[in-house]
Amino acid sequence: MSSTIIETDPDAALLPERIRRFPFPFASDTYRYSANVEPATKTAPTEAGSWGTHLVDIDEHYLEELAERAKVLDRDASRVNVLPHMRPSVWDALTTLLSSMADDYPDTMSYHREGNTCRWHNGLQNLDIEFTVGDDSSLPGGPMRFLGSQIQDDIILLDVREDTLWLDAGLVTFAADWSFGFDVGMNFMEIHHPVPRVKEERIISRAQQFLLRLQPGEQFRRTNWTLTIGRRLDTSTETYPEWGPDRSTIADDPAMPEKLHLRVEVQHLVRLPHSGALLFLVRTHLLPLSDIARVPAWREKMGHVLAELPDDMAEYKGIIRYRKAASDWLLAR
Amino acid sequence: MRSASTPPAAGNGLEPGFRGVICVSFGSTGDTAVPDTDGQPRYDLHFEAATADTLLELKSVFGSSRVGVRLVLAGPPTDIRAAAAVAADCGLLGEEVTLLSQETGPRFVYCPHCLSTTVDVTAGTEVTCHGCSTILAVTDHFSRRRGAYLGYSAHAEEAA
Amino acid sequence: MTAIALQPQVHPAVEGGLHLEVTDISRQTESIVSITFAAPEGGRLPSYVPGSHLVVQYGSGVNAYSLTGSGNAPSDYTISVLRVDEGAGGSVAMHRLSVGDRVNVSRPRSAFAPASTASHHLLVAAGIGITPILSHARAAVERGNTASMIYVHRPDAGAHVAEARKLLGPGLTALIECTNRGSFQSVLAEALITQPLGTHLYVCGPVVFMDAVLEEARSQGWSSARLHSEAFGAAELDAGEPFTVHLARSGVRLEVPAGVSLLDTLETAGKTIPNMCRKGICGECVLPVLRGAPQHRDLYLSDQEKAENTTMMCCVSRSNDPELELDL
Repeated sequence: MSSTIIETDPDAALLPERIRRFPFPFASDTYRYSANVEPATKTAPTEAGSWGTHLVDIDEHYLEELAERAKVLDRDASRVNVLPHMRPSVWDALTTLLSSMADDYPDTMSYHREGNTCRWHNGLQNLDIEFTVGDDSSLPGGPMRFLGSQIQDDIILLDVREDTLWLDAGLVTFAADWSFGFDVGMNFMEIHHPVPRVKEERIISRAQQFLLRLQPGEQFRRTNWTLTIGRRLDTSTETYPEWGPDRSTIADDPAMPEKLHLRVEVQHLVRLPHSGALLFLVRTHLLPLSDIARVPAWREKMGHVLAELPDDMAEYKGIIRYRKAASDWLLAR
Repeated sequence: MRSASTPPAAGNGLEPGFRGVICVSFGSTGDTAVPDTDGQPRYDLHFEAATADTLLELKSVFGSSRVGVRLVLAGPPTDIRAAAAVAADCGLLGEEVTLLSQETGPRFVYCPHCLSTTVDVTAGTEVTCHGCSTILAVTDHFSRRRGAYLGYSAHAEEAA
Repeated sequence: MTAIALQPQVHPAVEGGLHLEVTDISRQTESIVSITFAAPEGGRLPSYVPGSHLVVQYGSGVNAYSLTGSGNAPSDYTISVLRVDEGAGGSVAMHRLSVGDRVNVSRPRSAFAPASTASHHLLVAAGIGITPILSHARAAVERGNTASMIYVHRPDAGAHVAEARKLLGPGLTALIECTNRGSFQSVLAEALITQPLGTHLYVCGPVVFMDAVLEEARSQGWSSARLHSEAFGAAELDAGEPFTVHLARSGVRLEVPAGVSLLDTLETAGKTIPNMCRKGICGECVLPVLRGAPQHRDLYLSDQEKAENTTMMCCVSRSNDPELELDL
């Protein structure tokens, strides 16, 4: 992808921040699964701006999305789970990310550690707190809940043992059509069992080999995408009865351009320094088609990708019933 | 080497420090068809079903065993998966456990909408969740930890 | 060994690593010395996984040494080095270091990690192999796990014994020192048949010693997933041999030195090669090969594609032949 020269549209400066910062995922007019990993924290230019400078991205939706997460967690406790052997890696994730945020946002955040005593300041939440690494009771709700109240990303921790990755802890409130509560405890191949095409294309086993070879401290990222109806972050299997029905009506809805969103996950893969666990962060960005269409190159690429996508992939992404309507609208502009 | 006929210790009936093969069967299976224990001492257990009580007894058996032990589980899939989950919790590794699953038998289906698990005896493509009455489509996505298949609302996308 | 330059070139194995200062030297035994490094400006160093090692540069060479701490938010790193007079020179150079010297080291690398699910750790060390084992013992104590240790050393030649004894308590439940082969055999045999089910075994020492312990454990029914042994550098790609590439279309010949990738070499020569991960997984940097057998080290190509030798991933793969010809 580094071979593709992306030129920022000269009019892009006039676009709102939500468009300029959007991680538009398509480099060409077609899309297939690939192990599209690249080193993290490298600024990625798009036709409308850029993204990806920081490991933890904080944007205009910060407080609103954290409030949304708190509501989901209050309703459904199965969205967070830490198997007992994962406690040290949760602390490892927390100390790694708070320290990274303090480095990236020095105007609003600071982090100090002396032995196991840590002090965290988050000016966006008027929060000053002291806690002790390893003492779960020193943070409200424990370290996993607390980390989930500081970053917009969903958090997944994979244990490394028996040459395999195991999904043994996480806090996932904004899942794209999967159930964290069901998948906890599964290994990497089991988690990806329902994905079509990946078996024969060996992508999953290759990805696992790659992740197993990462050394502590290394950070990579990739993107994934789907379509979501409404600005709805929680499209988990748990709430499917609430959002599933929209799939049958959106194609004929005159408000489709405002309602239908391109959902892009920026996924970070971080091998944690002390536990050696693999931290998998999933940050979800939503942008309606009406905003996509304001960037001519995006409108065209996305229109072609949706038109060309093979049926089995469209079926798995849950977009088969309305992708043609979306593509037609984008390409007719 | 100790023989399987050594008088059992008090409690779970397994002598402390056992490192042979533990064969556990569930249901109506007469005896566990263990291929060959290669002359290793063998300890047999039979239960009607994997209830909370029998799983607790298994836990105590694993507690008196030592590294080197192997486990064979035979019977209906739901029972042996529940037992396998206890074995994993007690520190047995996948390669140390053999599952001899009966081809037929009920399966568990997990409902992510109400978080309950339904015993499905029909083995069809759909089952009614006994927790929330939603008709669930049964996927082949399987969790060894839960011993269950994932279900999801089968008709959510149909116009109301 | 060549003459040591005042500022030797940074070795590829420690590139992107740390520049540290020796802050303490302490003699463990007649032939083992402990060396402590810290950041010259002070402050915390990266945490590390218990059982990790550090690659340390000496002159133009590098050696890997195990870290002895628990790895939890350290302000210094300590290694212990056995002096090997007939070795490649690394240990002798380490023994010459004094407080205030500066060295290039890698970031800590993990290739001997504890199993997070283990309920008990059986630690077995021989001689200088005590270093990563001590790291494991400290980490187990800090995490509230339990461990027991068997340490084989010559009489009066045990390193770190006092530190290990200090850990004894609810965390490190036993420390058995063996100073002859016979006593070790019976201690190990007893330990291997009495461990509760959640136990994992970790062994470090001379290769023949590790092989013997692992063999004995397997014969007592220990499955391989319970057995962990120190294998320096197993997780890393080695620097490889230098080779030449001939770019057929451009009519250019380039030398690819050891420790430098083909992709780096091509980029330095002004070629633009599409690439993403630079780790041999994404498949972006594929190049057509016209002549010669690449040494495939990627995860992308299938075994059949590798056997055909018509393509290669230039970010990690090298050459089995002295020269490769590429369609470039």
